[in-house]
Formats: sequence, C-alpha cells, structure tokens
Amino acid sequence: MSDHTPLSVLIVEDEVLLAAELNYLVEEVGCRGVGHAMSSDEAIALAASLRPDLALVDVQLRDGPTGVDVARRIARDCGGVALFMTANVKRLPDDMAGACGVIGKPYSEHGVKTALTYLKACLRDGVAPGPPPAGFQLAPAWAERWGLGALQKSA
Amino acid sequence: MSDEYRSSLEAGAALAAAHGPDDPFAAAIRATRMAMIITDARQADHPIIFANDAFCALTGYDRDEIIGRNCRFLQGARTDPQVVSALRTAVAQGQNVAVDILNYRKDGAPFWNALYLSPVRNAAGEITYFFGSQLDITSRKQAELAFLERRDDLQIAIETATADLQHALEQKTALLHEVDHRVKNNLQLISSLLLLQARRTPDPVVRAALRGMLERVNAVATVHRRLFQSEDVERFDISAFIRDLVSDAIGTSGRNDISANLDLERVDVSADKAAPLALLFSELLGNAIRHAFPDGRAGVIKVSVRRENGCFRIEIADDGVGVATEEPRPGFGQTIVRLLCEQLRAECETADAFPGLRTVIRLPVNGKP
Repeated sequence: MSDHTPLSVLIVEDEVLLAAELNYLVEEVGCRGVGHAMSSDEAIALAASLRPDLALVDVQLRDGPTGVDVARRIARDCGGVALFMTANVKRLPDDMAGACGVIGKPYSEHGVKTALTYLKACLRDGVAPGPPPAGFQLAPAWAERWGLGALQKSA
Repeated sequence: MSDEYRSSLEAGAALAAAHGPDDPFAAAIRATRMAMIITDARQADHPIIFANDAFCALTGYDRDEIIGRNCRFLQGARTDPQVVSALRTAVAQGQNVAVDILNYRKDGAPFWNALYLSPVRNAAGEITYFFGSQLDITSRKQAELAFLERRDDLQIAIETATADLQHALEQKTALLHEVDHRVKNNLQLISSLLLLQARRTPDPVVRAALRGMLERVNAVATVHRRLFQSEDVERFDISAFIRDLVSDAIGTSGRNDISANLDLERVDVSADKAAPLALLFSELLGNAIRHAFPDGRAGVIKVSVRRENGCFRIEIADDGVGVATEEPRPGFGQTIVRLLCEQLRAECETADAFPGLRTVIRLPVNGKP
C-alpha cells in the first residue's frame, strides 16, 4: 500500500446506525469504507473477497459473540489487520485473537478519528509515532512489532 | 493339656511363688480394676503367663482359656493390620508401645482397647517379661467417630453452601457485565444517532444544539467507559475522567490553538455522583472552549482538581476574553449547571480572572455541605 492509496476498511458491526456513522468517521480520516458485515459468515466472506487493509470488528454480531473468531480468521487468512471496537474489552482473549488492538465502546467521534489516524501511521511506517492515544489499547504483540514493547510493559 | 499351656502355667506359678500374698506390688496387680497381663519373653511366641481378674472380666474369657496363648487371640476381622504390625515391631525391638486397637471379646463383641505394652528386664538387662495393660475406650472412640462423621457432614454442607454462593456470584457478575455491555452499546447508539442527524442538518443553530447534546451524551459515555474499567464499581476517579474529557472536547472542537494545562490530584467520588459531575464539568469546559477564544484567539485552559477543606475543588480557568466581551451564554447550559449543582450540593462560582474567567466547583466530600 502506498501513501496515495487510502486504507481500505471493512466494518463488522450488527448495529446499522453505528456502522453508518462509523463509515463517515472512516472516510473523514482519509480511509475508504469498502464494506459492511453484520454476521461472522458475512464478515469472513467479505474479508476474503475484498481483502481490506483494516477490519473494524465488534465482538457481538448478529450470530452471537463471534467477533473474536472473525478477527482471528481475518488476521490468519486474509492478510488484513483487525481492530476490535467493543463494549466488552475485558472479555477479549489475552492475545486479542491476532487483532492489533481495541477501541472501547462507547467511543467518541474524536477518539475514533485519533485512533484511526494513529493506526494509519503505524501501518504506513511499521513503527508507532508514539504511545497510543486515549481510548485505544494496543495488543501486546503489535505494540512490540511497532516498537512500543518496553513502553507498554511499563505502562 | 498342651505344652504351651503347661510351661506357661509353670512359669506363672514360679512368678507367683516369688511374689506371695504379702507382696504389695503383686497384690496391687491382682486386684486393680485395670486389666493387666504378663507374658513370658523367654518362651517362643511370648505366651501369657498371668492375667488379672479385670482382664478376664474385660475379655469374657476364663483364666484357663487365656494362659499359654499369645495375646493376638483378641484380634479379629476388623483389627487394623497396621496397628498389629506396629505392636510386633515394638516387641521385637524391646520398646514400650501404646496403641488403640480393635479387639474382640469371647462372645464376639468388638471393643476398643487402649493397649500399653512394656518390656521387663532382669539385672543382666535381658528382657524376661512383657507386661500389658488394657483399657476399654469404646465409648470414647465411638464419640470420636461420631464427631468425625458430623465434621464430614458439616464439611459437605459448607462445600455445598459455598458452591451455591459461588454460582450466585457468577450469575450476578455475568448479569452486571450484560447490563454494562447494554448501557455502553446504547450510549454508543445515542451518540451515533445525534452525529448522523447533525451531519444532515443544514441549519447551524439546530446543528449546534445537536452537537451540544452529543457533548453531554459523550460526557456520560466517558463516565461509563471508565466506570467498569476499574475493579471497583462503587468509586470513580474524577481526575482520570477529566483527563479523557478535556482531550476529547478540545480535540472535537478542532481548535489546535487551544491547549490544556492539567493539574490533577487523584480524587474518588461515589459512582452515583459520577454522571452529574461529568455533565457539570462538561458544560463548563464546553463554555470555555466555545466562548473564551473567539476569532481564532489562541489560549490555554487550566484545569485543576484537589481536596481542600473537606471539599473536592475543581477549577476551570481560561485566559480568554473574559465575561465583558463574551458573547451572551446560551440559557440551557446555565440551567443545567444550576440544577446539577443543586443535585450535587455543590457550589459553583465564576469570576473574572484577568485575563479570562475562572470557575470553581466545590463538591462536599461526603455528600454533606
């Protein structure tokens, strides 16, 4: 992906109003919303066909708490990066199922935009521009990959 | 008459002859109410050569059924082999031994026997006899066993009750998580609705009103995000929340020329005060961001939180244009501030700070003014 190609984003969320608003936020930070899935089957099929750079994944989907599995499949099979957006941060597995991190609900407009902007920089440069912004929690493995290993542990 | 019986009888008679009726030690052993026996350590298999009346009474055997036999004849089906083995070892090593052993009377009735065996040595130090004393402790043993059974029953009852409580707690925790999850999702839904409508509203006044409501919902949402992040759901850290809200509010305003200066002491309030306090703070902060720095004027908003004289003191100060030149403030915001202060029993004072304005909230620590 070059600097000029906007990040393609798949939204995996069973609340359509949240998804619609989230799509605006995604576009406002210069990414491109490429699809929206409401169930795990839909999400995995769309991720396989669209190959998005980033998937924003809610844990609770139309077919149950299947978001964790969706994130794992996307990270493993589709070459994309998953990011959780959930009200149930504590229920996520320790390894975050291969996802790069989590934004806790309820998030704010500013919180999401800041987190997505930060994530864009991490994905573009392969290194974090600094500690993650408030409301955005990085997965330990990704913090390490982006040069924040020591910082995360001391935090 | 068997050889063992005859030789035991002879050994017993010799012992008795050496200790006539005038020997007080012998008299005591014959007459004591404690069952006692003497075995001959110099004969094979240590036959009993003397048994007192108490021993006959305890075991139900006549004396001629006792003499010449090893005392293991009292053992039976439920006698613990480990205890028997401990006895045998002690005798082989010539040591004293005390055990509780299950023995059987002549009529087959079991009884618990507190047995004490001890060697008797001659002048040369060689073991010549063992003497044994027996005490019926059946009632004590039964009480012990009953106690152990009761204790086991009690243990089971406690474990059952604990498991029930654990289960109830797990259910309660699961329910709490479920409710928390729904509250958070609903707050998210409300703010998404407001944002969606604000995007589609051409009228700037309506849009500002929607944005104002979004800000208030966001303040409450910030509380809820923080509320269940900590383990303690009863207490709420104001400073952590203020840090989140200030960065969010200034960020949302898009005013890169406004910076924040935070001086926050960790201060906890009860969770039920968190949302009204968040709304109050958000209102005052929003005022400062919207009104203190018109026409692209840059500035700093200082926020401090500390304890002071039994109060929590929250200060929001800007170095903006001050009250004289400010635009008239919207009425609804002022109403919210007044009502929430009433609810929280808080005092709220706004004064000129030259430059800018300073608002101080004093919140009583324990809910008392």
